[in-house]
Amino acid sequence: MPKRTDIHSVLIIGAGPIIIGQACEFDYSGTQACKALKEEGYRVILVNSNPATIMTDPEFADRTYIEPITPECIDKIIAREVEEMKRLKANGKLVLLPTLGGQTALNTAMALFRRGTLDKYSIEMIGANAGAIERGEDRQVFKDLMISIGLDVPLSGTSHNLEEARLVAEKIGRFPLIIRPAFTLGGTGGGIAYNREEFDEMAKRGIELSPVSEILVEESLLGWKEFEMEVMRDRQDNCVVICSIENFDPMGVHTGDSITVAPIQTLTDKEFQIMRDASFAVIRAVGVETGGSNIQFAVNPDNGRMVIIEMNPRVSRSSALASKATGFPIAKIAAKLAVGYLLDEIRNDITRETPASFEPTIDYVVTKVPRFAFEKFPQADPTLNTQMKSVGEAMAIGRTFKESLQKALRSLEIGRYGLGGDGKAWRIGEKVYGDRDILPREVIAPKLSVPNAERIFFLRHALRAGFTIEEIFQLTKIDRWFLTQIKEIVDFEEELAATKN
Amino acid sequence: MNAELLTKAKSLGFSDRQIGHLTGQTEDAVRAERKKLGLVPSYRLVDTCAAEFEAYTPYYYSTYDRGDDEVKPSDRKKVMILGGGPNRIGQGIEFDYCCVHASFALKADGFETLMVNSNPETVSTDYDTSDRLYFEPLTLEDVLHIYEREKCWGVIAQFGGQTPLNLALSLQKNGVNIIGTSPQSIEIAEDRKLFSAMLHKLKIPQPPNGLATCEAEALAVAAKLSYPLLVRPSFVLGGRAMQIVYDDAELQHYMRFAVEASPERPVLVDQYLEDATEVDVDCIADIGNFYYPNQGTIVIGGILEHIEFAGVHSGDAAMVLPPHTLSERIINTIREYTHAMARELRVVGLMNVQYAVKGETVYVLEVNPRASRTVPFVSKAIGVPLAKLAARVMAGKTLKQLKFTKEVWPQYWAVKESVFPFNRFQGQDIILSPEMRSTGEVMGLDDDLGVAYAKSQMAAGGPLPESGRVFISVSDSHKGEVAEVGRAFAALGFELVATSGTADMLEKAGLKVRRIFKLAEGRPNAVDLLKNREIQIVINTPSGATPHADGVKIRTTAVYTGTPIMTTLSGAKAAALGIAALRRSGYGVKTLQEYH
Repeated sequence: MPKRTDIHSVLIIGAGPIIIGQACEFDYSGTQACKALKEEGYRVILVNSNPATIMTDPEFADRTYIEPITPECIDKIIAREVEEMKRLKANGKLVLLPTLGGQTALNTAMALFRRGTLDKYSIEMIGANAGAIERGEDRQVFKDLMISIGLDVPLSGTSHNLEEARLVAEKIGRFPLIIRPAFTLGGTGGGIAYNREEFDEMAKRGIELSPVSEILVEESLLGWKEFEMEVMRDRQDNCVVICSIENFDPMGVHTGDSITVAPIQTLTDKEFQIMRDASFAVIRAVGVETGGSNIQFAVNPDNGRMVIIEMNPRVSRSSALASKATGFPIAKIAAKLAVGYLLDEIRNDITRETPASFEPTIDYVVTKVPRFAFEKFPQADPTLNTQMKSVGEAMAIGRTFKESLQKALRSLEIGRYGLGGDGKAWRIGEKVYGDRDILPREVIAPKLSVPNAERIFFLRHALRAGFTIEEIFQLTKIDRWFLTQIKEIVDFEEELAATKN
Repeated sequence: MNAELLTKAKSLGFSDRQIGHLTGQTEDAVRAERKKLGLVPSYRLVDTCAAEFEAYTPYYYSTYDRGDDEVKPSDRKKVMILGGGPNRIGQGIEFDYCCVHASFALKADGFETLMVNSNPETVSTDYDTSDRLYFEPLTLEDVLHIYEREKCWGVIAQFGGQTPLNLALSLQKNGVNIIGTSPQSIEIAEDRKLFSAMLHKLKIPQPPNGLATCEAEALAVAAKLSYPLLVRPSFVLGGRAMQIVYDDAELQHYMRFAVEASPERPVLVDQYLEDATEVDVDCIADIGNFYYPNQGTIVIGGILEHIEFAGVHSGDAAMVLPPHTLSERIINTIREYTHAMARELRVVGLMNVQYAVKGETVYVLEVNPRASRTVPFVSKAIGVPLAKLAARVMAGKTLKQLKFTKEVWPQYWAVKESVFPFNRFQGQDIILSPEMRSTGEVMGLDDDLGVAYAKSQMAAGGPLPESGRVFISVSDSHKGEVAEVGRAFAALGFELVATSGTADMLEKAGLKVRRIFKLAEGRPNAVDLLKNREIQIVINTPSGATPHADGVKIRTTAVYTGTPIMTTLSGAKAAALGIAALRRSGYGVKTLQEYH
């Protein structure tokens, strides 16, 4: 099916300023989309208030508005552009592509839909329509939908005030409980409550921060394994998995704050295929007609129960990572699918031979490690939870997990040249230990059980201090396969050190 | 060292630094040993198909699972661009923007461009951006391997922020051709002693200052200067551990707990210029491309006046381009100093200077002969791609050839505002300081300064209210100026709300104020009003060195309730100007293409 000829101009909303949870990955995806749509001959109108982006360079769009990304302001832009198109005697319509500018663009597009701007000017949303966005973003609607297609979800309920929230908590029946505000970015205002007091406080704050005053209270899946699938769909219902990602840190740590590994390392092929089928079922049920989505799963390590946690009906941080990990340009392809192409009609730039309907295959391991900045916020609590706190990430590629992990760690710009053994001292609170010192067990244990920015390095300390893999697993719930890999690095460090003199 | 052991170490991802430390050798010795054994990495393609089809886009990673090296031969002149690594506060997208521009410009000039970076979020690591992409760590070991494997002609290290800059000298020592301003010039700018000597020679004033490698030295310097002092470690970006100290006790605490001072990395101690206006200048020059130092061209890209007083990190401050309060004379002095320093440092490419203006004196705070955080903003404000021009100058062109020889002075206003992650770090005070904490920035453009400022606030997520109540609480040192701000808001029809001290001052100035309790005095207090959304904007300036717990509570509550808050009086004045402009005429929108 060729591209649509009824479209004249495409309005793209960017992600605005870089904030935690929404960084330059949306400049990457937006820039690709602008290029792809211009290439196809559409007139591209871009709104983004962030001047440090490549996408706002004047040559990437026909009309670049460095203006605030607010519904009111975009309303003015649309009115102006509709006039401009009349003046140009444009033969075709203005459409809105809302899925490439992160949560900001999605929320703003929904606000434009709700205030009637899109109707008033007959502007169609391409990529994902308002219904699909709502089904993907409204947690209760999404859960009901998942249950209706036979997929498992965590026990939960939505609430709009503290009384409702307490009722839901009672129904689930045990702490800890997860609080997730609806329609906030990177989980802002969410958290894990271990007791009633914390629960009340977080529930109130979550309701306040949610633009629709709604939170989801959910059964805790702490310690479960977490996975992500990046999938794409075209309007003939062809679906492909671009990349599978495994979180090294189990559930409880925001995926943006977690070390992640692609492809998935610890599932059997059968488990992986079940997850792949489920991913397609999700994207179809939600009804993302064209483009990419990110679907998150949790698996109970004790019994294999698999639940769907959430889906993002848009290009996300993970899709940027998946693109870099595989070489498959998700945002560019998503833009082309949105204007009518099919996956098998789009050529893969890298091979120039295979179509975009070929699922990428990778023969290496990719590791992403988050970069934190707690040194800048000494008064704040450095515990990692469901609210993202990292400010950046480094990715590395190697032929084994071990190689890629050590490369990623030395990419972090924190003065480390790998997992350890590089001569740099360890500062823990007020105390300083030498690089090769064996740390006391009582210092190590809490750093394993409570997720924190340095936990990866404490796995090394723990192994060197004589913790067994089983003990570490009980404290961290990090899959034993990963722990075994780390042990190999640590054991070899000792072997190397033994050759000294 | 045992070849088998070394091979295994590399295949497990150990760096030369780790191997060296563990086996008691230097990193250089390990590298030399490896090269003797021929133990270097292979480069493989990221090709979407596990090598089943041929790949045309050269996107590489290194591995010690050797054999099958897939680097494609090429005889073109290659320029390597070093990226910035993972985003962090102080080093963000601005530097990636510059790297991408360097690649675009040099590609267009016929060079083969190689990008090296480890950040998956960026445009620089799109396989489309450069001729070749190496997804690799930015360490000496990894970069040298690529440079040697690809036989590059030159390396651009001044665009990716502090990461590549820290590598520049050691790369050069290993025979790498660093193009653009020489690493020696960069060192002059970063080394406090050399820098002071240069300013002395050029007769350019800088705030009185000294160096300290330990606590005793710091106290000795402090005795010569007078408090408050601005203290910071050398060689960092983003104002890491940069602080204003008000007495000996604070200085001692700083030296003991906040920094690791050493003779190689001394702490810089500067006289802090209270209530000075800070100015950032970005310029471009091609001086080093000429034999005689009096030849070549220097062009100022933009002069940005900070809205907050000097001492707020330039990455956190709001800025206005062109300057809105500086006199012609001051601007000319700034021009003159900028030109003198660019010439003296024989700059090839970009240079950023930070000035503080106090009274009629212009002081130089800092010079960075490299791309700065404000380059993208300035480029968009003036409609000239400075980073592209700079890359072409670094590769040998002159500014005359590129036809950029005249400063651009826009006929509209561009305001930069910073965006902070305080809502993520509960309990963290939000007072702006010399330590940078913003994650991003927005731009407000308009013919009217007030509207441009108002747009920047809207874009940053804290739109200015057009009516309602303003809560004002300022420190004693600001009470003299508070009447002016209060009058401006009262004139706009806002109801003024204040606690006793500030209320007294406002009433003395003849303004009507609603008095409320301080937090300890009773209820309802400012926090209650904020939570009930009865306050539309907060003006709260911190008092002295250690902020009062009350102030912290009020500021953090403002953040959680999403109430716009100004923590400086200059910010508050700008807000009043913005509100007045919005009420006068609203705002319109306009494309960048129409501005330029």
